[in-house]
Amino acid sequence: MRRVIILILLLGLMQLIALAAPFGGAGRTILVFGFLILAAYSAGELAENFHLPKIVGYLVAGVVFGPHATSVVRPSEALDLQPVGDLAIALIAFIAGAELDLAELRRRGVSLLKVTGTELAVTFVAIFTALVLMRPWIPFLAGYNWIVVSAFAGLFASVAIVHSPAVTIALLTETKAQGPVARTTLGVVLVADVAVVLLFSVALSVARALVPSGAKGVGSLGATAWEIGGAFPVGLLIGLAIVIYLRLTTSDLFLFAILATFFGLEVARLMHTEPLLTLLVAGFIAKNFSRHGSGVLLREAMERSAAPVFVIFFALAGSKIELPDLARLWPLVLPIALVRAGAIRFGTRLGARWARLSAAESRPLWMGLISQAGVAIGLVTVASASYPAAGGEMRTLLLTLIAMNETVGAVLFRRALLKAGEVGGEGAGGMEEAALQAASPRSQAV
Amino acid sequence: MSSALLLVVLVAVAYVAAKLAFQWIGRHLLIVSGAEYLLLGILLGPQVSGLMTPQALRTFIPFMTLALGWMGAMVGMRLYLPGLVRLRGVFYRLAFVQSLATLVVVSGASLLVLQWLFGVTPGYALMPALVLGAIGTSSASDAVQLIVQRLGRRSVVVRQIEVAVGMDSLIAIATLTAVFCLNHVGTPQLARTPTAVEWFVISCAVGVTGGALFHLFLGEERHPDRLFISLAGAIIFVTGAASFLQLSPLLPGLLMGAILANTSRNRQQIEAVLHSVERPLYFVLLLCGGALWSPGGSGAWFIPVLVFLVARMLSKVYVARLAARFNDMTGVLGPNWGRALIGQGGLALAIAFNYLIESNSYFPDIIFTAAVVSVLLTDLASARLMQKVVTTSPYEIRASGEQQKPVIPQAEAAEREPAPVGGDG
Repeated sequence: MRRVIILILLLGLMQLIALAAPFGGAGRTILVFGFLILAAYSAGELAENFHLPKIVGYLVAGVVFGPHATSVVRPSEALDLQPVGDLAIALIAFIAGAELDLAELRRRGVSLLKVTGTELAVTFVAIFTALVLMRPWIPFLAGYNWIVVSAFAGLFASVAIVHSPAVTIALLTETKAQGPVARTTLGVVLVADVAVVLLFSVALSVARALVPSGAKGVGSLGATAWEIGGAFPVGLLIGLAIVIYLRLTTSDLFLFAILATFFGLEVARLMHTEPLLTLLVAGFIAKNFSRHGSGVLLREAMERSAAPVFVIFFALAGSKIELPDLARLWPLVLPIALVRAGAIRFGTRLGARWARLSAAESRPLWMGLISQAGVAIGLVTVASASYPAAGGEMRTLLLTLIAMNETVGAVLFRRALLKAGEVGGEGAGGMEEAALQAASPRSQAV
Repeated sequence: MSSALLLVVLVAVAYVAAKLAFQWIGRHLLIVSGAEYLLLGILLGPQVSGLMTPQALRTFIPFMTLALGWMGAMVGMRLYLPGLVRLRGVFYRLAFVQSLATLVVVSGASLLVLQWLFGVTPGYALMPALVLGAIGTSSASDAVQLIVQRLGRRSVVVRQIEVAVGMDSLIAIATLTAVFCLNHVGTPQLARTPTAVEWFVISCAVGVTGGALFHLFLGEERHPDRLFISLAGAIIFVTGAASFLQLSPLLPGLLMGAILANTSRNRQQIEAVLHSVERPLYFVLLLCGGALWSPGGSGAWFIPVLVFLVARMLSKVYVARLAARFNDMTGVLGPNWGRALIGQGGLALAIAFNYLIESNSYFPDIIFTAAVVSVLLTDLASARLMQKVVTTSPYEIRASGEQQKPVIPQAEAAEREPAPVGGDG
């Protein structure tokens, strides 16, 4: 409560400063940046009191102080703070890659592929079918022939099946969760991240073939293939460069972590490869091929620098949620979101059975796959740029769906981790350790 | 391979090579690390590779401005009053005299050379001369820490150097704030434009209000991650407030840090959190400083830079010697203790950067070049100079359970509190 009162005082102080300020230059962006960190941080603490993930608090703070509510953060300032968002995405991708263990991947790779493949296929078909059935009420499908409906529904579904590595990593960092559910969810999200970019490219190419867009500057299929395929060799090279650096020195890792992420992002942009995938591969190589645990040290340095970045990243994401659209479109979005959630649940169960995962591991898995954030927003932008006329409506609908899933998904994933008893490292591993300790002669003696 | 990508690869290789080379040189030749980042910045910047365009650099300015507030808070955190009052007045007297004299000498010399070289009026040359004076006054404590660690002992002269570095920081920051207030563009929305004194008061008020509010906001928080986020938010807020008012964020940051240091129960945790980011921020300043560097339009830029370097060095060495002589401290500190103050670091660069981004500044490129050259040169020599001063000083500070070497009364009475006063890192 004390912090909320101080935030109100700070808001008053901002108004007072605005009176005496000569010009609205870069200074206001920094002022707003500081306020947003404090506000989002306090909202995160408040959310924790209500047994909600902190991310939800950050998002709510973004919505409340964003351009569509109180306008403390103006659209131009949100744009000025975009480099923080870019850095956050890159950091998330690198950390996600570094979380993957080569040995575990060898052991469980096939299982992950089975679960992911089934879940994505089922969800894609379900959303596609739902859109086709709901076409009279959907603005960009109503009144069109079957070819256009199929093309746009396919494109929409290919974005709607995307998960959020950002929310997954942020929640795993926040809860310090360790255990089979946490690891399987992360594995599925990361494998799905690669697959959905591929699937989206195919859906976009099919849509373009069926419904010529007329938009300029849209890449070819070859370019899209390079964007995904090229990310592997480019990420590999960046990762190897980091491994060599870590063999030579491990000083100033905090700064090196940010510099490496920044350079990785720039290299991916210059090589026209998918930045998230490139950094994910780089993180994987850096963690698994460096000596004497220096890769782990780098990952820890990245996690340290990511903590405040997460706060601002999700607060900015919240500020972009368009409340008027949410209010207008929720009757359309809600059934789609429900179909999506149901399909994810069914798909993961089916996949888990095929992969022979234990019930304890597979049952809460779907709850970790609901969230959507950065990657989905990126794909929405590409889709709407490809179809300037119909894309606008599709963009609004998808962004509203993403906003809903972003908030609900974080809550569900936290609940899944709590249910599995994996929060704060109290997962299966922790329980096994506790059981072993209890069985040891020393503990029995005590 | 595209030329842009080739440049990225080249710069990355140059960074690794410079980093490793400086690491080796630093280990063998006693050099304070940092210059490699400045060189990398110059390589990245528009003057060499052009990889970071002026437009791209402008997007980084808000983040570099944050480093100023952080640096101010770091200086402020060291102003812990219970520690300060345990030291004898002679330490402060010596530090104050050498700081003020350096400010006067460097500002005076710069005023004359700018007037002569560019044919401007004294009124026009005064502001840049004062900023050069502020940059010249500041000194760094990096080398002190390095030498104390290396020798494994502290002496009276080390204490004096720490006090002097703190005093230098205070005077340099106050001077820069005064320049910003005198040079302020005014506020059209207000019925009356505030005077320079009123802007100075506003500058202090931002820091004091921020300090008081964030003392309450941080409360008893001790968890490093939570403390880091709220402290970062607090410093960013205060920095943004000062920057939005077109004032220097250094003084508000300093005041906020001083209030937190003197009122918080979790002072050590706050200091640890601030310290954990101090060095990376210094390197970011060096990196972006290098990228922003430009010799400016005038070909004669090296003359004021040279005058600045010579005036500063002479002033630091000889005024310190005179001050020690007049206070009967030459025997304790040695005649050349001022040499230990020649090293420059983050604060010098921060002041120059702050002036560079000020909208109505005169000769910003020359001033920035002076700071960059000074940091680059003194990084190479400061640790050696410091080692010479410290090893020739005979008076060690008593460690617990050890006998102190015989000292003269001034030095003996001065040794009561081992806490350093300040420095810019």
